[in-house]
Order: sequence, then structure tokens, then C-alpha cells
Amino acid sequence: MSAPLPELLAPAQPQGVPAARPRGRGRAPNLRIWLPAGFLIALFCACFFWPLVYPVPKPIGGSILNSGLPPLSPGHIFGTDPVGNDIFSRILHGGQVSFEVGLSVTAIGLAIGGLLGVAAAYWGGAADTAISRVLDVFIAFPALVLALAIAEGLGPSELHVIWALAIFSIPAFGRIARGATLTLREQTFMLAARLSGTRGRRMITRHIVPNIMPQLLTFSLLGIGVVMILEGALSFLGLGIPPPEPSWGSMIAQGQQTISASPDLVLIPSAFLFATVVSLNVLGDALRERWANPMGQSR
Amino acid sequence: MTVATAGNRWVARSPGARLAGRRLLTVIPVLLGVTFLTFVVMNLLPGDAAQELLGVNATPAEVHQLEIQLHLNEPFWVRYGNWLGGLFHGDLGTSLTSGQNVTAILGQRLPVTAELLLYAFVASILLAVGLAVLAARRPNGVADRISMVVSMTGLSVAPYVLALVLIYVFAVRLHWFPAIGYTSLTQNPEANLRSLTLPAAAIAFPLFAVYTRLLRADIVEQMQREDYIVTARAKGVRPWRVLCRHALPNSLFGLITLVALNLGTLVGAVAIIEPIFSLPGVGAILISSINNHDVPVVEGIVVVFAVVVVLANLLADMLYATLDPRIRYERSAA
Amino acid sequence: MGQPDGTEQVTDALLDVEDLRVTFPGRGREVHAVDGVSYRVYAGQTLAIVGESGSGKTVSCRAVMGLLPPGALITGSARFQGRQLIGLSDDQLREHRGANIAMVFQDPARSLNPTMRVGAQIAEAVRAHQDVSKARAKAQAVDLLRLVHIPLPERRSVEYPHQLSGGMRQRVMIAIALACRPKLLIADEATTALDVTTQAQIMDLLLELQAELGMALMLISHDLGLAGAYADEVIVMYAGRIVEQAPAARLFSRVRMPYTQALFEAIPRLERPAHAPLPVIGGHPLGPPDASDLPPGCSFAPRCRRAADDCRAAAPPLEEHEAGHRWACWHPVDGGTS
Repeated sequence: MSAPLPELLAPAQPQGVPAARPRGRGRAPNLRIWLPAGFLIALFCACFFWPLVYPVPKPIGGSILNSGLPPLSPGHIFGTDPVGNDIFSRILHGGQVSFEVGLSVTAIGLAIGGLLGVAAAYWGGAADTAISRVLDVFIAFPALVLALAIAEGLGPSELHVIWALAIFSIPAFGRIARGATLTLREQTFMLAARLSGTRGRRMITRHIVPNIMPQLLTFSLLGIGVVMILEGALSFLGLGIPPPEPSWGSMIAQGQQTISASPDLVLIPSAFLFATVVSLNVLGDALRERWANPMGQSR
Repeated sequence: MTVATAGNRWVARSPGARLAGRRLLTVIPVLLGVTFLTFVVMNLLPGDAAQELLGVNATPAEVHQLEIQLHLNEPFWVRYGNWLGGLFHGDLGTSLTSGQNVTAILGQRLPVTAELLLYAFVASILLAVGLAVLAARRPNGVADRISMVVSMTGLSVAPYVLALVLIYVFAVRLHWFPAIGYTSLTQNPEANLRSLTLPAAAIAFPLFAVYTRLLRADIVEQMQREDYIVTARAKGVRPWRVLCRHALPNSLFGLITLVALNLGTLVGAVAIIEPIFSLPGVGAILISSINNHDVPVVEGIVVVFAVVVVLANLLADMLYATLDPRIRYERSAA
Repeated sequence: MGQPDGTEQVTDALLDVEDLRVTFPGRGREVHAVDGVSYRVYAGQTLAIVGESGSGKTVSCRAVMGLLPPGALITGSARFQGRQLIGLSDDQLREHRGANIAMVFQDPARSLNPTMRVGAQIAEAVRAHQDVSKARAKAQAVDLLRLVHIPLPERRSVEYPHQLSGGMRQRVMIAIALACRPKLLIADEATTALDVTTQAQIMDLLLELQAELGMALMLISHDLGLAGAYADEVIVMYAGRIVEQAPAARLFSRVRMPYTQALFEAIPRLERPAHAPLPVIGGHPLGPPDASDLPPGCSFAPRCRRAADDCRAAAPPLEEHEAGHRWACWHPVDGGTS
């Protein structure tokens, strides 16, 4: 009886989304998408392409004669570390590591975890319970401890870090995908598809995947940030990328020793890590709001 | 009417007790599961404690000798069974590296970690409630925008980064707090709090960010979508009271769930933060124990955390019942 | 019109609403929820506003009390005892809410705070406007429960809403509304969520209290039968506008507006033959019009059996064609062209 009323009384909020952000008009939401996206793309290109295009000093094997230069020194825009390596170059290469790990772990999680989650929700019954329990065990376990153990046991290397972190990315995506698929199943158009004979693979590829993709993608963006921080943590503890290869995390760890004398050794990689994760979070948030109504219930 | 009401009162006391009892029973399988998994993982890793203790240069014979001494040559099940047996007697074994009694080690180090985490929790929750209420008072107003920026920052910052930045700003530059070191509570309460403030802040800030975000969203949702809020306003109740007395209590459920859920992740945070500040807590030895394959110590820490998590979830359930009388009194009228 | 002026207009109407308009900014288009509504409520009178959902009946009352969400745009005039309400700040309106004008809502299950004891919620209403101690307010709460005929009021007042039946919850809502003896009580679909027997009980309670306290009563409902049974004067709204208004007896004997007639016919009656299909207001599009996209001309024209070209071209004005009976129609029932 009062069906139109809630809509009339709450016109400005998109349905089902906690009002976490102002619903701006015109430029504001676009800015929240394009500014961080632009920064991320620029950073990505800088990390991967700048060293190829522009001559940049190597990130390792620097001369001890050059050690400890402050930022804005000639030839070393961010200065050098106590061993003589150029910080700017190390930032770029460290960024490569962060992006590589972040993207691979998330991709693995999305592919395997997403598939598992969708399968569990689609099949339901015993298969669902089995898969869910397994996922829950991993989610319940203290992630960092296990990642530490695995990384330590396998030995520090970028690939091992990716595996160690993927073990947590998969259950997280699994849970999200499963939840999203379950809510999707209740929608009427899904029933229509089922009744018209759509089954199995076609159902998944044509109907389920396109509709849960927005949710999974925003989760991915937020997830990349988390993975970057975790990779940083592992490297910080000496269990990630083996030195002297640069990683933002290990750079921060190194800088800790000289934090009073040269704080920029800590602050510069920290700033980059922070800026990257913030951009990912803001972008993920903005996209989630934009896609809050994937069923397109216009009113 | 009298009989029904009396019956209702009597039933009311039981659900809480029954709930608690049920929950306590789930502690045991969870503990078994978690400790077992830890044992498995520790044993799957290459190397062992004997190897670590003696170093790279030890001969295989020496290593083997030490293994026998430390009972490491016995099969997996025997070792786990022994440890489990010891657990039921309250004996957590001895450290393979230091030979100390694990219970003693935990007894020394747990209070430090416990105080640190308590400090962080209380601070993050109180600040989160405060900021969320301020923000929800006027959605999209000044306080709200500030809360969003603060939340976004807290969500995006890595704890270790924050710790170092805090050290640099507050210890190195401003000299307000010590960069490292710990003074116990009994020695000097003021110095104790000062030594724990920076590490607690490093742990608390990301938590505070998440909590504020969630609570603010829940409160705003209550204020905008719930009918009883309209009733309260129609009565002429002042806006602050509507917010704090009506919307807030009904918004706390999500926060409580999240806090209880988050407890498990604190093991990781503590493992990173304590060494940075040289705090003698359990986190500080966790990583080194994993490195040294010191299984009893690792298990001991895991057990403690698992118990805490389970108890916290139990506490959360009880808090739900306190906040929501519908859970407390099961009877619903026709 | 719409600025709170300091002058008080002398009028004997308790509530004087003039050309009230409420617009919500929507996604691109504005929603005209209330489109120029005027009426008067006198002390001791019972006025019923009847309409489908989406007709704007609830929005217009909430606008007067200032209970709409912040985005709403309200223009027009609503004077309570001569004092302008539209345009007042929230703080100023709070003085009126509960004290002068009170509201009872539709769904008592959702309209009461589930985590607060019933007595406390009533006491809160008391203390919102009266400077009394907590104990005093509690005692008054119990008295109010007694007033609305809830048995064992002391015991009930420490219970929670979910422990009470639907009818009792609604009585509690009424008790809350009456806490400060308001001069006007607005019952917004107050009986819709209740079963028929309880409905009658609640309505009788409201009338009894009205007589006892000398209140004016506004009944908002979709139920024309209810309006006829309990109201002195009836207003029919459609798509944000008043389409017919008359004293109850007159309306029921000499209905004019085709929409009102259709509403009459839609009331299920026991005398109808069994298994006969229930008459609905048909036409296309089914259901009330989209308030953001109102057609020019009469908003009911798309669904009206008597619609002609002039109906679609221009909206008929609401005029008092007979003494005490207003309607807005080019081709009213029983009367040819106006």
C-alpha cells in the first residue's frame, strides 16, 4: 500500500547502498573515477615503461661513493640510499613488483576463487557446503601467519609471495562470488532464463558472470590495494622479494634504521604505497557506487 | 495473562545461558581444528628446529642427535598427540629454541600484548562511535566529509608504514613519545601508557577507519529508512537524542560483528608492530618462532588467540542479546 | 506565500492549508508529489483524506509537520492556529510536533523502537514538551496506557514492542501521540495494518478520545468506507491534487467525480454475487500515474470512462459547484458538464 512512499521519502539515495558518499551531480563523481584512475595508469606506465624509454640508473649495484645523497641531488631526483642506489629507480622497479604481485594475486583469486564461488552457489547442496567450509577455514585462519610461514618455508621470491598471498585471495573472492551469485539467483529474470531452458555453461557465461562482474571488479580493485600492502608487509619482514631487488616494503624496512637522519628513505616509498592504495580504494568505491544498481531498477 | 507473563520471564533467563553453553562447546572443535592446521603447516615446511638451532654448518649427525633429543624424530601423530595431551594438563610444552616453558613465556609476554590490544581496541571503538555520530548528524556536512577522508586514509595506509611515520613525527621530531621500549604498568603507569600509545595508534587507526565507515553508514541508514525514527521526530524529540538514543543503539550490531570478526587478524598486526617498537609481547617472538620451527611456541600463541577469538564471538552474541530485546525474550505475541 | 510572517491571521480554522506543493528532486526529473492542495480543519472536526498510494495524501501531512527528508521542496501555506508552519526551521517546528499536532503511523511494528521499552517511549514523548521528572513522566505514561484501554498498564509499560499484539502496539502509538494533549491528531493509515475487528476497535478509541479531549482528527486512508463511517468531511486526492471534497453524507449520496465513483464501486460488498470479479479502476496505465511525468490535462483522464478531449487538453479546476461540495471535473457524474 505504501510502496511508492519509501521511494518518495528517500529519493536521493541509491537503493541498497549504505549512503557512504554524496551523490554528486555533474563533475564530482567523474572526478572521483578519473583522478585516481589517471594516477594509477600514469604510475603503471612510469614503473614499467620509463626505464625502457629513459635512461635511469640501475636500482642495484650502486657505487658506495654515491651513498646517502639527499633528494633533488643532480642525477638523483629522490637521492640515493646508504649503499648508493638511486631511490627513484628503486621506486620504479619496486612499483613493478607491487603491480605484478597485486595484479597476479588478484587475477588468480578472481579466476579460481570466482569460479569456485559461482560453482558453489550454482550447484548448491552438498557441493556448496563442502566448498564453503573449505573457504571458511582459510578465511578464519590468521592470514599473515600462514603467509609468513609459507613465504618463509618456500624461500623469499616474488613467485612464492604470489602463491602465498593467492591462498587468501582465492577464498575471499570465493565468498564474494558465492554471495553475489546467491542473490542473483533470486532475481526473476534468472527464473525466466531457467524456465526457458538455459542451463549450465550458458547460464553461467551469459547470465551469471556479466551480472556479478561489477561487484567482483570493485572488490578486485580494493583487493589489489590489500595485496600490495601485504606484499609490502612480507618484504618489510624480509620474507618477500629478496634484497637487493627493490620492493617498496623492503625499502621501508631498510629506511627504518636511518629514520632520524634520512626520513625520506622511509617516507618516499611510503608515500607511493599510500598514494597507490588510496587511488585504488577511491576508484573502487566510486565504481561500486556507480554500479550499485546493476539490475537497473529505474524509478 | 499473568501465567503467560510469568512464563515469559522465566524463559528469558535461559536463552542467554543456553547460548553461552552452546558456544563454549564449539570452542573445543575450533581449537582442535586451528591447532591441528598449525601443526600441519609447521611440519610441512622444509627444515626443522634442530637444523635451525645448529645452523648451516652442522653435520647431519649432529642434527640427527638434536632431533632425537627434542623428540623431533617421532611421527607426526605422536608429536601432536603428546602436545595435545600436555594441553589438557595445562602444559604447553617447552620452547625448542630456548628450552623455556611455553606457559612461562606466554605468561611473561601476553600481558604486554593484551594491554596493547586493549588500548588499541578501546581507542578505535570510542573514536569511531564519536566520529560516526558526528558525521551522521548531518550527512554530507563538514564532519561527514572529514570522516570520509579520515576513513579512506585509514583504510589505505599500511600498519607498518603508519608505525614508522608515527615514530618519525611523534618520537623523532616532537619527542612526545618514545620510539621503542616498554615500561610495565606496575613500574610506571604514565610511562607505560606513553610507551604503548604509538604502537596502539598504529594498530588502532586502520580499525578506527573501518569502524567509522561502517557505523556511519548504518546510522545514516537507520535515520533515513526506519519508521521509528519518524515517530521519534514526530514526538518532538531533539535531533541529538533521536540520533544517540534511537538510531545508534540499533546500528551497533554491524559494528559488533565486525569487531569480533577482526580479532583474528590482529595476530598479524601484532607480529609486525611489536618488533618495530621493541615491545616484549607475543607478536615479537611469533615470527622468529616460525623461522626457527619452534612449534610449541607457535602453537601456544595460536591457542591463545583462538580462545580469545571464540570468547570474543561469544561476547558479541551476548551483546546482541543485551542490545536487542527481541533476542532476549523469545516469546512473540500473536 | 510560504515565508513565516510574524503576523497571525485570525481564522477559526485549526489548520489552514493553502496551495501546498511538495516537489522532490529526482534523477533528472522532479517528482510533484503534492500539486496545489488546500483545505481546512476545524477544532473537534474529523477530516478524512482518501486516495490511492502515490496520491500525495501522506506527503502533504508530513510536509505540514516537517517530517519529509531534506531534499523535499515545500511551497505554499499551512497555518496552525494562524501561525505559519511552512518555512519554519526544524527547531521551531519541533515545538509543534507532539505538542500541537501529533501523528499516528501505519505500521506499529516498525514505527516503535524495538530496543526501547514501551513506557519509556511514551515518557519520552511527555518529556519532549513538558518539564517533568523521569518518575513523573513514567507515571504519566502508565496513565496514558490506561487512557487507551490497555489492561494492566503498569506491567505493559515495561515491556518491549515485540511483546505486544498489533492492536496493542497501535494503542501505544496513540498513547504516544496523545502524551501532550495535541489539538490535532493525524492518523496516517493507522488501521491499515490491522485486522478488521481491531480496526473497528481502534477507530472507536480514536473517536472516543477525540470527544474526550476535544481534538481535531485527520484520517488518512485509502479506504473510502472507513472515511464514510467515521469522518465529518471527506477529501479525495488523486495524483497530488484534490479532486473532490464534501461532507461525508453528501459525498456518499451525490458523488460527482468519476474517480470517487470508481472508488466506491471498488469497495468490496457482501451483497455482490459470489465469485463475481472484484471491480477495479481499470484503464491504462493501471495504477496511479507517475508523479514525475504528469500528463497535461486531468491526471485521471487516461483511466476515466467519461474522459473526453477537453479532459486531456486542460486540467479542470477544483471549484465549489454546490454548497460545501467541491470537485474538479469537466464531466462529473450525475451532472453533465459543470
